[in-house]
Amino acid sequence: MNQIPHEFAIGGVFMPPLLVVSLLGTIAAVVTSHLLNRYRLSRYFWYPPLVSVALMIIYSVLIGTFIIRV
Amino acid sequence: MIRSRKAKEAIKTALAMTIAYGIALQMDWDKPVWAGFAVAFVSLATVGQSFNKAALRMFGTLVAVAVALTILGLFAQERWLFMLFLAAWVGFCTYMMGGKKYQYFWNVCGFVSIIICMGAGPDSVNAFNIAMLRTQETGLGILVYSIVSLFLWPSSSSSSFYTAAGKLVSTQHQLYQAYLGQMNNKDSGGETQTLRTQMVQEQTQFSQLLDAAEMDTYEVWEMRQQWRQHQHLSADFTETMEKWHENFTELQVLDIQSLLPNLTTFGAELNERFTQIERMLAGQSPEHRPATIDLTQDDAGARSLSHFHRAALAVTRTRLLHFEALTRTLFDTIRNIKNFDRADGVPKTTRQPRAGFVLDPDRLTGSVRIMITLWLAYLALIYVADLPGGSGFVSMAGPFGMILASSPQLPVSVLFLPITTGVLFGAVLYIFVMPQLSSFIGLGLLLFSVTFAICYLFAAPKQKLSKLFGLAMFISIASITNEQTYSFLSVATTALMFALLFLLLAITANLPFSARPELNFLRLLGRYFRSCEYLMFTMHQDPKHKKTYFEGWEKNFHTHELSTLPTKLGGWARFIDSKAFPGASPQHIQAVLTSLQALSYRMQELIAESGSAQAPYLVQELQSDIRTWRVKVEETFQYLSEKPDAGKKDTLRTRLAGIIDHLEKRIEETLDKAAELQLSDRDNENFYRLLGAYRGVSEALVEYAGSSGTIDWTFWREERF
Repeated sequence: MNQIPHEFAIGGVFMPPLLVVSLLGTIAAVVTSHLLNRYRLSRYFWYPPLVSVALMIIYSVLIGTFIIRV
Repeated sequence: MIRSRKAKEAIKTALAMTIAYGIALQMDWDKPVWAGFAVAFVSLATVGQSFNKAALRMFGTLVAVAVALTILGLFAQERWLFMLFLAAWVGFCTYMMGGKKYQYFWNVCGFVSIIICMGAGPDSVNAFNIAMLRTQETGLGILVYSIVSLFLWPSSSSSSFYTAAGKLVSTQHQLYQAYLGQMNNKDSGGETQTLRTQMVQEQTQFSQLLDAAEMDTYEVWEMRQQWRQHQHLSADFTETMEKWHENFTELQVLDIQSLLPNLTTFGAELNERFTQIERMLAGQSPEHRPATIDLTQDDAGARSLSHFHRAALAVTRTRLLHFEALTRTLFDTIRNIKNFDRADGVPKTTRQPRAGFVLDPDRLTGSVRIMITLWLAYLALIYVADLPGGSGFVSMAGPFGMILASSPQLPVSVLFLPITTGVLFGAVLYIFVMPQLSSFIGLGLLLFSVTFAICYLFAAPKQKLSKLFGLAMFISIASITNEQTYSFLSVATTALMFALLFLLLAITANLPFSARPELNFLRLLGRYFRSCEYLMFTMHQDPKHKKTYFEGWEKNFHTHELSTLPTKLGGWARFIDSKAFPGASPQHIQAVLTSLQALSYRMQELIAESGSAQAPYLVQELQSDIRTWRVKVEETFQYLSEKPDAGKKDTLRTRLAGIIDHLEKRIEETLDKAAELQLSDRDNENFYRLLGAYRGVSEALVEYAGSSGTIDWTFWREERF
């Protein structure tokens, strides 16, 4: 895997890796929230909106560290 | 010849948009987009409705200009004080937007102040020019649309207004007949539910069209006081019918026909009055005048009833007599408006006493929410380098934040689709089509066709939001000026700005107050029962006790809560995802809402009756029994305010019925003991009305326990994303 941060080029438009990473992090957090709701696991959290934000950050950091280098 | 109304309206807006842009560009004014926005937002179905909205937009802009220039003048060098005052002003406007009148005026006052302040903030030397530019371009947009809509297929509100007035009277007539049948045990429950919903919708439509018809129809303007009186009378009739309907459970066990021997004649007379009112509204002269009629009561039959049934009968008779008075005044008002025999003069308008100022906690929450949104956007502007949109980010946070703060039930995701589609559509035109144009002819054609397409495709009232955002996004992204430049970066920046804006709006929608409809429903339910408990508690107080100002305000507050919370609960209920909660189908939730509305009416009735004078003998004799009942109900309210699902129908029924039965026995004894001269007929009637109100509250409470018992509230309290 290339460890040097690089921009994404889509149709000649360059996008910063952080934008792509946060987008993927958000999608992953939304999917996780839906699954937690579906299986009634969300009741074990104190305040789900804060958990959503936390999940978004955790996923973004993980993706930014291990998959796409930010 | 174009026949479609949809096409005509779309052509009018498209033409006004093209002309407004043409003039602004010809005059070499900066930001012609503001004229485009004015056209997009004031275009409504009729001339009157558009004029009304246009006037509110213009006055709102003028006030906003004055406020924005004052804030800029005072705090141009003090960025924190500048935002403190701007946010406070916008918070105040958002609070006022939640009121019953001039919502759009307050909306414009708020967001235009932000636009001018943020536009002039980095460039305060030109603050005055920016403010004037906003005013003149808004004025231009409004003027152009007004002229176009006046000359091109003018559609006055008058015909829709007269139709709406006729429909409303006809629905009230039908519902009155259905209720009368229901009272006489001829059930028509299913039909009345449809009619009730229809009546509420028609009442709202009538009010909106009256505002519009006053603006565009001289004969409605000339008779506006009488029409307003008609509106009040009609609302009073609706409310009394609902209160009357709430009594039917008790009445259905009575032989109402023999207890009120001339009920059939009385009912027929009221029917006749409605028919005549409908005739007059259709332009025909009345064939009959209201006859004098009284509702006689079989006193011997009434005496054989239990005291509570006698009370229910007394309350019903009072209501029916109120209908008699209302229909007579309605008849006179319409006869006067329609100029049939005007010599009798205008019936006097009875003004409702105004309740004192009451601070609404939900509107206040909305104010806090918009202030937090503005502060976060402002802090981002100051501390985040190269924030997409710059000061425009704060300007955009204002109007969107105000919409969401004043309708907290609306999820942020509702705006997502129209805005994303609008941005994409605008971007395609901006990048691929606009660079090919070289003169105003081409640009004008593009403006006309795009505006026409959006207005035509999203013409239905339900698609209003999509139409407005579609037009607004196209206008913003195209950012047409005389020195037109094209840059992909500006489109990308705008798209990113909206993404960040959604993030901000999502944060303020969930923090500090949760946006989950079911949690808000439970919160409001708790508040509702706390208000009931407080009002019940104040009934214990000694009538000689002199209320302090704070106590008076507190009572006003809880009375306001009692009357407004069922509607607010209805607003949240529409957004509850019933699939996620077992046993909470829309019908179950509706049943809870109906029982709460009934409880509100019963409590209001009890408050009104407890204020009326009672015979000292009865008060003295029954004081302790009535007190026991009140304490028990108060305890139940307290219990429900903590756990709205705590009441079990059977337990409550047994507990309250026991007290009521005991009370009935005591009344029997007391009345038997009372000497003939100790109680007048009026004393009896007042007392029965009060008893009717007590029983009504007990019944409504049991009914609520029954309807709320069908829902599994445990799921509602569980945390969800």
